[in-house]
Amino acid sequence: MISPDIICDAVTKSFGATQAVSEFSATLKAGHTTALVGPSGCGKSTILRMIAGLETPERGEVLVGDEAPDAVARRGALAMSFQDPSLLPWRSVSANIALGAELARKPADQVDHLIDLVGLSGFADHRPAALSGGMRQRAAIARSLISKPEVLLLDEPFGAVDAITRRRLNVDLPPLWRARGTTVVLVTHSVEEALLLSDRVIVLSSRPASVVADIAVDAPGPRDSAFLDTPAVQDHARALYSALEGR
Amino acid sequence: MIGVNLWRKLLAAGALLLLWEGAVALSSDAVLISSPSDIAGYLSENFALIARASVETSRNAFWGFLWGNAAAIVLSATMLVLPRSERFLLALALLVFCVPLIASGPILRVLYGPGTGPQVTLAALAVYYTTLLALLVGLRAVSQNWIDLMRVYGRGPLATLMRVRARASLPYLFVGLQISAPAAFLGAMIGEFTGAERGLGVLTLRAMRGLETDATWSLALLSAAIAMTGYGALGWLGRRAVGYAPEILLSAPRQDADQTWWRSLGQTLLIVACVVAVWQLTMDAFDLNRFFAKRPGDVWGFLIVAENRDTLVAALAQTLGSALPGYLAGLSLGAGLAALLILWPGLAQATLPFAVALRAIPIITTAPLLVLGFGRGLAGTTVVVAVMIFFPTLVACQQGLRQTPGQVADLFRSYGAGRFVFLCKAQIPAMLPAFFASARMAVPAALLAVTTVEWLATGKGVGVLMATTSSTSNYNMLWSCVAALAGVAAAAYALVAALERAILRVYASEQLT
Repeated sequence: MISPDIICDAVTKSFGATQAVSEFSATLKAGHTTALVGPSGCGKSTILRMIAGLETPERGEVLVGDEAPDAVARRGALAMSFQDPSLLPWRSVSANIALGAELARKPADQVDHLIDLVGLSGFADHRPAALSGGMRQRAAIARSLISKPEVLLLDEPFGAVDAITRRRLNVDLPPLWRARGTTVVLVTHSVEEALLLSDRVIVLSSRPASVVADIAVDAPGPRDSAFLDTPAVQDHARALYSALEGR
Repeated sequence: MIGVNLWRKLLAAGALLLLWEGAVALSSDAVLISSPSDIAGYLSENFALIARASVETSRNAFWGFLWGNAAAIVLSATMLVLPRSERFLLALALLVFCVPLIASGPILRVLYGPGTGPQVTLAALAVYYTTLLALLVGLRAVSQNWIDLMRVYGRGPLATLMRVRARASLPYLFVGLQISAPAAFLGAMIGEFTGAERGLGVLTLRAMRGLETDATWSLALLSAAIAMTGYGALGWLGRRAVGYAPEILLSAPRQDADQTWWRSLGQTLLIVACVVAVWQLTMDAFDLNRFFAKRPGDVWGFLIVAENRDTLVAALAQTLGSALPGYLAGLSLGAGLAALLILWPGLAQATLPFAVALRAIPIITTAPLLVLGFGRGLAGTTVVVAVMIFFPTLVACQQGLRQTPGQVADLFRSYGAGRFVFLCKAQIPAMLPAFFASARMAVPAALLAVTTVEWLATGKGVGVLMATTSSTSNYNMLWSCVAALAGVAAAAYALVAALERAILRVYASEQLT
């Protein structure tokens, strides 16, 4: 499977009078994970939604490989995990996860494996209403992984997940999409999460979103919890915080 | 455990029956109230007759239920696929729904001739609108995220309809069907009031007119029991099929932000013109006899004569004067009791099942009893109208009061706010949408109740004008009555809706889309 580059070319988007994104340009390399960080409401999610084809930029262009985002969506090669888990209340956990494969017209052959991976063993037959917010979000992440997408968009995927599980998922999940060569775009509030998961972190300014800093995370070593304590990564973290604080 | 519970319930029911029996034996008003033994006696003496009539009415109600709900499903699907048609179709559906059944009855009777056509049609007319509203809410009770999810996988509106909307609307459909069951029975009975040969409605009418107390009581209780059985059966089926209840059933009318008064007026005129055209064209297409199938032109020609117009206006004024006190009383009692019950939650838990069950009784079938008890004057009419509106309002307001999110309740508690402050500041604003939705739906219900009582008992107003004109073949007056009632009902509905928008704009702006 060859994943595509994602090219954002001077993308601008407004909602009514508020400009959400202004002249955002970046090439997100195939098979890499890029994190978008920035203050709340800065327009990161809007960029993600434009890459997903859910919003159309009013100026500029988003290309996934050489295709428009909605063409990639129609091939079933795109998946997204939303801030709100958006599970269907009448489907069980396993059926909700399988939905990702159904909609992408792919075989749903990894449901059990993914349920184990996100730590929902024993809850396969539960309805979403019986789960906690964090468990629902984990089911939604599993749903986005099951179709083996070429492009995976994660919008605050672990926001409601408890700190310990979150740390574990931050370590356990990336090998899966790295092995598949998936192009991943992640929106997060957590600098640590961005560093653990990504090859590159783009810091965005407050509304309208434009690039403040662009940091390559090229520290060596396995991406586990010790990774965050290495000097190189701590340098990155300092650089990120000062960019976020506008210094 | 279940066994003990059942025994307890049986004992309570037995005690209630004994009390009732004793009260009747002691009271001097034996003319007005029948005791359980009188009712049992009447039912067993006339078993064969009543069984035949019950089967007849149930069969008509069943077919009407099917046709009406099928129409609701087709209409809601059309509105979803062609959103531009929604406003127009919904207004048209409302206008048809606003014509009191007792008014369409005689007209359908002359159009269909003898047979079960009018009963079945009235049963269908009684159910389609509530199911349509429930379905429209259900088909839209879909989070934007689900639609985004479908789009992320490149799936379009059709897949969304099949995989998400249809399934999400299922609990709403079942609620619609459940409310339809007693409504269909009510429609079939009203069809029988207006000139059928067989059925419980015919027997009821005969018992009322002959002042046969035992027969009236027996038939009213039997009708209520059959209707409630249908309500219960569909509720059970819904719980089995869906497993969970929908969140919000009643919602405020949608309004476009750019809606101006002259656009509303234009749309209203367009709808009126369309109704008149449909009326004229159906009459012509089926080549219906001009003697009884009057055209819009005939009604106009009839009403420009001052004498006819005065008769109609006087009767309408009488009818509206009887309907208004009952309408206001029913609404305020329903909302007031809901608020009281929320202050004493234990009491609410005990009463809600009763309120839900009583909502299922087609109140009209008990109207004869209420008229027996409260007389044929304004008091009797007011009580019937109020009772008709009271239960749906109570249930809707209780659901509305419970819409207040738990976190808001916690917030108030953290400031040590009392129940009364919480009620006024959080719960009543949360209840307003449900209250106004039931106030709107109560308009046609009130007019139906008042015209039916007039037809059956009081001898005043439009109801009785229609009854006499349909028997004296004054079809011009009959059609004029129907047109006038539809117009008045639609206007009153619009008035309540305007009030609703004005108030909700302040208290619940998020509910106006």
